[in-house]
Amino acid sequence: MKPRPPVMRTKRRYILARILPYGMVVDQKGVYLSVIEAATSLFGDAAVGLAQPAVVFCDGGYAVVRCRRGTEKEIATALATVTAFGDERAALRTVAVSGTIHALRRRIKPICPLSGAGEAKIGENCFTVYRYPRQKVDLVEKGIKHQKPLFFTEADLEER
Amino acid sequence: MKITDASVRPYPAGDSSLARMAAEAAELGFDSIVAIGEGALPGRGPAVLRGAVIGAASHKEVIRQVREPAVRRADVVFVNAGDISFNRAVVSVKEVQVLRNIHTTRKNAFDHVAARSAAERGVAVDISMVPLIQYRGTKRQRALQRYEDILLLHRRYGFPLTISSGACSILEQRSVREIRGLCALFGMTGAEVSEALASVGRLIEPEQPVRVVG
Repeated sequence: MKPRPPVMRTKRRYILARILPYGMVVDQKGVYLSVIEAATSLFGDAAVGLAQPAVVFCDGGYAVVRCRRGTEKEIATALATVTAFGDERAALRTVAVSGTIHALRRRIKPICPLSGAGEAKIGENCFTVYRYPRQKVDLVEKGIKHQKPLFFTEADLEER
Repeated sequence: MKITDASVRPYPAGDSSLARMAAEAAELGFDSIVAIGEGALPGRGPAVLRGAVIGAASHKEVIRQVREPAVRRADVVFVNAGDISFNRAVVSVKEVQVLRNIHTTRKNAFDHVAARSAAERGVAVDISMVPLIQYRGTKRQRALQRYEDILLLHRRYGFPLTISSGACSILEQRSVREIRGLCALFGMTGAEVSEALASVGRLIEPEQPVRVVG
């Protein structure tokens, strides 16, 4: 099949979004379903159908969402209403919008936990400590499922 | 002009410490936050103001609660909105600065009379992002209708608005740009959002006539 000439192709925009909490492992389909649910409930089927949102990349704590040019503001607003991927609480923070994925890849700064993960006890619960740059500390409750994370700083841990 | 998130609820009410929420707020473009509830104030990062929420059923109870030491220590005093007579009465209480949870009230609970009183006394109405972010379906539609009505009254009478994330977690905090997008859903312009985000500063330090000293 002969490809469509460039001038007749749909113009696209790509939105780079950071996935919170840090270190969360999510699959592309899970992110896509959450984005579609958020956008559809906010703007309706007709608007979302025309915007054609799709998740084209999801790795390293970032997701790239594709949409039609001119609808990027609406889709970015819809991304702000994403509150969970499946059963896990999460958030998407829009970082940048661009016309190419290549430009967005330059904006990706991988967020890796610092060495020195340990344990902490808050109240009667034991937590695994993950340290991140800028003195951020994520505490994940030890257990099999329904672990409640806590988001602290180094100073908060020292006080306890 | 200080961009302020008008209410966050840190640990133990939520799952994020006040210092962490303050750090996240700074990254999201805020100069200050209003923290509701107890919590040690962080030494650095954006300014953290103390907020107190009064949840009362009657006007008399509000007057009694504003005299409590915890409320008197607060920088910003919020009152949960109620029915029409409660809201009309509470906006005339001197110590009350912000009327919140307006999206939970009935359609005409905040009417033109309350709006005029609020404008005269400089009492703000809080627009919470919680229903726009967390709710779905008819609940969110109702909140959007209420906010549009509040915006209409704000444009007519000129009472201040504040915008709050109402976040209990860093996962619920949103950036200034995202708040602009969410407020555009009910017709708020960028300039109005900027003014609303800066209005907490004006509430705690109201403009007064120049006083000649000495």
